Amino acid sequence: METVALSVLLLPFLSALVTLLFLRKQGNIASLLSVATAGGILALSLFLIFAGHGETFSWSVTWIKLSGWELEFGFLIDAPARLLLFVVSFVGFLIHIFSLGYMADDDAKARYFGGLSIFMFSMLGITLADNLIMIFVFWELVGFSSYLLIAHYFSTEEAAKASRKAFIVNRIGDFGFLIGIVLTYWIFGTVSLEELGAEANFRPHLVTTFLCLALACGFIGKSAQFPLHVWLPDAMAGPTPVSALIHAATMVAAGIYLLLRIEFLFTPEALALLALLGAAMGLYAGFCALVQRDIKKILAYSTLSQLGYMAAAFGLGMPGIALFHLMTHAFFKALMFLGSGSVIHACHHEQDIFKYGGLRKRMPITAYTFLIGVLAISGVCFLSGYFSKDAILLGAYNLNLPVFIVLYAGAILTALYMFRLYFITFEGESRSKYAKQAKENSPLMTGPLIVLAILSVIGGYHALFPVEIVGALIEDIRRVAQMDNHLWMIILGTLAWVGGALVARKLYGKVKQDDPLASKAPGFFALCRSKLFFDEIYGLYVKRIQDPFARFLEVMELLFISGLMVRGSAGVAGLFALFAKAFYVGKIHAYALWFILGTLGFLAYAVGFIGG
Amino acid sequence: METVTPQHFLILASLLFAVGFLGVVIRRNILLVLMSLELMLNGINVALVAFSRSGTNMDGSLFVFFIMTVAAAEVSVGLALLVAFYKKRKSIYSEGMSLLGN
Repeated sequence: METVALSVLLLPFLSALVTLLFLRKQGNIASLLSVATAGGILALSLFLIFAGHGETFSWSVTWIKLSGWELEFGFLIDAPARLLLFVVSFVGFLIHIFSLGYMADDDAKARYFGGLSIFMFSMLGITLADNLIMIFVFWELVGFSSYLLIAHYFSTEEAAKASRKAFIVNRIGDFGFLIGIVLTYWIFGTVSLEELGAEANFRPHLVTTFLCLALACGFIGKSAQFPLHVWLPDAMAGPTPVSALIHAATMVAAGIYLLLRIEFLFTPEALALLALLGAAMGLYAGFCALVQRDIKKILAYSTLSQLGYMAAAFGLGMPGIALFHLMTHAFFKALMFLGSGSVIHACHHEQDIFKYGGLRKRMPITAYTFLIGVLAISGVCFLSGYFSKDAILLGAYNLNLPVFIVLYAGAILTALYMFRLYFITFEGESRSKYAKQAKENSPLMTGPLIVLAILSVIGGYHALFPVEIVGALIEDIRRVAQMDNHLWMIILGTLAWVGGALVARKLYGKVKQDDPLASKAPGFFALCRSKLFFDEIYGLYVKRIQDPFARFLEVMELLFISGLMVRGSAGVAGLFALFAKAFYVGKIHAYALWFILGTLGFLAYAVGFIGG
Repeated sequence: METVTPQHFLILASLLFAVGFLGVVIRRNILLVLMSLELMLNGINVALVAFSRSGTNMDGSLFVFFIMTVAAAEVSVGLALLVAFYKKRKSIYSEGMSLLGN
């Protein structure tokens, strides 16, 4: 079994390596290789999932050995890992196929598909890793591949800036994560997840809020939660399938997965903080999404908001529900991102939703699958999003009322901005030349949409899935199922999406080139557009505090290190050299004279005239 | 009548040595520099013989033979170098030997 796990990990790595070494100019072969690899990953992952018969499998070998300290390389395939493995390999495979269609005309296909393979490698590494340091290594690797793929259109200023921003913001979170790992080793003497779990159970007094918050920094950076959420909307500068795979379905969800892996290290205070932060993020991102014009940015803010829901679920002590929402979100958000990719591809890379309109008649498959995604995320009864989101809401209602109120407001907003997106894009009149000429895309692109749409409908019925996949969810789902106020929650949930949809229909049913909200509520519109000035505040911080500090350090470095120490020591040697050079005149007589004078000097010393 | 004492020999030896030294330092002609070098060695020879005689010990005289042998060898090497130098530069003056100066 470890052979299978190793090959599932190494397969995409080899594919990326072969692409890098031999196929850089042969984009078509590289893309087929990458898709075949994704298919292989799916097959091997399914084998891994079902071969263990639902039992936890762990295996490790020594990777690095220093005196008294060993770093292990190993796999821990337990129930959450199996679920994420399924999501990553399955959604990843569909997105690879979609990419074949979407990137068909791209000049740098080899780079793109090589990047996808590196990403699959690193993401599978996070999924399977059995210790924190290994997770950290792959954690950085997904950050790298995300950087690589955001910067796919690196000749545009926007993409180049966005990729740098994503990388740097992630570094900040990862620094906290690294401190957390060092602290964990310091306190527990191990970084292996299984041993940590046992230790934390055995000696609960060692678990501190500071430690788990430091580790949660990794989650905050990677899942783009407050206050490091600024990179995700900008990351939409990358190709759309990348946004679907990395910035919606898998990588950003890896933050939640990390929390689940170290769940036993969390104190109630840290959990409460996470719940609050997550709920606030759910609401804040909803407001931001409401006023965006770029179809991908709307979806990006929606992703932020849904990640907030997952964090809230985790913070409320329902990690299984967080994972459940991770799974259903991966289905419907990947569906919507691919749908937006289909629209963007059909409209010649126009991303402004006010330039679309009436696309339902021209692109029926995209439109109806997108509608399913919208209904699922809004929580329409008996679709996948209904089960997972209402489980979170119900849990919040019974466990923590303030969090519930924030989350519920977020749910109304979700329905509102999703239906806004749908109405403006697919209904009404076409508002640009490209939208009038748009045609449905090839089956390579609509096929994955249909599969994901089916999963978005049935993804919530966990009983339909084999227990090997959804084993991690069952316990928490049962817990929520036994809670009170079910009927009440169904009514509230239905009210939320029906209300959101009706308001969206009224406001955005017939739009022209401008956002109707801008004229009806200009103050509110401007406030949402500003996104609460986070980018500006960070920019100001960098300009006013960080840059001057860096300049101060630069001056200090010039003065002391390069000036005093490097140039200084060279200068002392130079002075000696100047003195010694004076003897080196190039006249044989002078040398003879110095030689004899030297001999006389020795003689005088030997006789005792000087020096005694 | 004054007898000749070792001091006299030593004065003669140091005068010879000094003349040779001045020749080495002052002369431009390398041939003359080599000859001055011989003069310095001969000054030392005189001193050694004088010591040997006043000390009734043959060590000094023995040493003189060594010095003469070495001097012969040294001069032959020096002259050979000089010939080679002349062939290359058409000159035996020391100004030409300053390629390593700064």
